[in-house]
Amino acid sequence: MAAAPILEIKALGKRFPARSGREPPPWIIQDMTFSVGEGELLTIVGPSGAGKSTLLNIIAQIEVASAGEIAFGDERFASSEQKSLQPGLNRRIGYVTQDDNLLPWRTTIENVLFPHEVQGTLDDKARTQANELISAVGLSGFENYYPHELSGGMRKRAALIRTLVYDPPIILMDEPFAAVDAQTRTQLQEDLLRLWSLKRKTILFVTHDITEAIALGDRALVLSRRPSRVAAEHPIPIPRPRNVKDIFTMPGFAAIYEHIRADVQ
Amino acid sequence: MTTADLTSGYSESRTIPRRWLVIGGRIALALALLLAWEWGARSLGPLFFAPPLATFQRIVEMAASGQLLTDILATMRVSALGFVIGCACGIGLPFILQQLPRVTAAVEPFIMASQGIPKYALTPWLILWFGIGDAPKVIVVTLFTFYITFITVFAGIRGVDQRLISMARVMGASERTIARKVIWISLLPFFFTGLKVALPRAVSAAIVGEFLVATEGVGFSIEHARQLSDTTGVFAGIVVAVSLVLIINSVVNALERRALRWRPVDRDMQI
Repeated sequence: MAAAPILEIKALGKRFPARSGREPPPWIIQDMTFSVGEGELLTIVGPSGAGKSTLLNIIAQIEVASAGEIAFGDERFASSEQKSLQPGLNRRIGYVTQDDNLLPWRTTIENVLFPHEVQGTLDDKARTQANELISAVGLSGFENYYPHELSGGMRKRAALIRTLVYDPPIILMDEPFAAVDAQTRTQLQEDLLRLWSLKRKTILFVTHDITEAIALGDRALVLSRRPSRVAAEHPIPIPRPRNVKDIFTMPGFAAIYEHIRADVQ
Repeated sequence: MTTADLTSGYSESRTIPRRWLVIGGRIALALALLLAWEWGARSLGPLFFAPPLATFQRIVEMAASGQLLTDILATMRVSALGFVIGCACGIGLPFILQQLPRVTAAVEPFIMASQGIPKYALTPWLILWFGIGDAPKVIVVTLFTFYITFITVFAGIRGVDQRLISMARVMGASERTIARKVIWISLLPFFFTGLKVALPRAVSAAIVGEFLVATEGVGFSIEHARQLSDTTGVFAGIVVAVSLVLIINSVVNALERRALRWRPVDRDMQI
C-alpha cells in the first residue's frame, strides 16, 4: 500500500453491555487491527455475524467501542477516553448502509439534497452537482419519484449518491448491494467503480460476497468468526479499469478467490 | 371499437359505479336515519323527540336572528383556544422528554395517572378558581386535547425508525434539525390520528363546559332550551354541534391528505 494511512484501527474491541443471565457478554470484535490508505478501496469479507456492521458503526461513531483506538489522520479516538460520539466525524465519514434508509416522504432529488439541506450548504452548485450525480447513475427522470415508487436498485443508487453529494473523504459501505438481483448488482458495482475512478475516495466496502470483494477492492481483508478479528489480508493485483461482468475470466481471479475462500470459515 | 374504448369502458364499469355506490349508500343511510328520527318524533311526541323538520326550521330561525353565529363563534373560540394550547403542550412536551430519558421514566407514571382525573368533574372547581369566563372551559378543552396529542406524539417519537436518525446524524444534522426534518415528519401519521380524536373531543368539551357556565355558545343554547323543556331547541343544538364536528373533521382530512400525500395508501380509506 503506497498511500499514507488515512484511517487506522488499533486493537479494536466491542462487546455489548452485560445482561442478567448471560454473563459475561461475549466479545463481538476483539483485537482488530488494520489501516486504510488514502484513496484506497478496501473490501472487508466475513461470514455473517462477524460484526461487520458493528465495525462500520463504530468507525462512523454511531456506536461506541469497548476497547482499542481509532485514528483518523492525526486525530485519535481511544475507546477509554471517548465520552460522547461524533456521528460521521463532522461530515468526514459518509456511510452507505445496508438498507437504503431514504426518507420515505422525500422524492429522489429531495433525498439526495438532504445532506446539504441539514448542513446549510444547499446552493445552486449543490443542486447542479446533485443533478449530475443523478444522471451519472441513470436516475434522470425519476427526480420527483418517492422511494416506494423506485425499484430496489434505483433506491440503492439514490442512497449512494446521497452520500457522494456532500463529498466526505471516507465512505463506509455496508453490503449496499446485497439485497438486489445479480444483474442489478453488477450494474451497481460498475457504477460505483466508475464514480470512484472519477474521484478517488477512500472506501471501506463490507460484503459477504467474495467475488464482489475481488471485483471492487484494491485489497481485501478477511474477518474471522466471532470474536471477529482480521484473519487474512489479500492484495488484489487485477489491473483497473476492471470489467465487473467478466471478472471471473481475469488472470489471477481464481487463485485469489480460492485463497479468500479458504480464509473465510 | 378500439383498445382505448375498451379500456376506458372497463375502468368506468369498475371505478365510477363503485364511487357512486358509496355515495348512494351514504344518502340512503342519511334518509334512513331521518326516517327513524321522524318515526321517533311521531310515536313518542314532540316533548321527547323533536321532529326533524321543526328542528331544521329552528336552526334556520336561529341563523336568521344571528344567534346561531354568535353561539358557534363562542364555542369555536373556547375550543380553538383550548385546542391550540393543549396541542402545543402535547407536541412540545414529548419532544423535550425525548432528550431526557431519565426524566421521562420518572414523569411518565404521573402523567398517565393524572389522565385518570375526570376532567368534566374539574369544571366546578375550576370555576371557583378562574371565575365564570372562558378560562375554566378553555382549561377543560386543553386537558382533553393535551392527553390525546401527548400520547400519540409520544408513541410516534418512539416509533421513529432509529436508522433514519443515525443516518441524519452521520450526515451532520443537528438534533434540532433531526427533530424537525426526521422525527416530526415520521410521526405525522400518528399525529393526524390523534387530531381526529382530539378535535371532536375539544368541541364536545367546550359544549359540556358551556352547560355549566356560559352566557352564549352552542352548549349554552342546548342547556337553555333544556331548562325551558324546549326539545326542538335541544335537538337544533345537537345538530349544530354534529355539523361543527363534521366540518372540522373534513378540514383535518384535507390537511392530512396534503401532509401525507407521499404515502402509498388507498386514498379511499379515509375515516
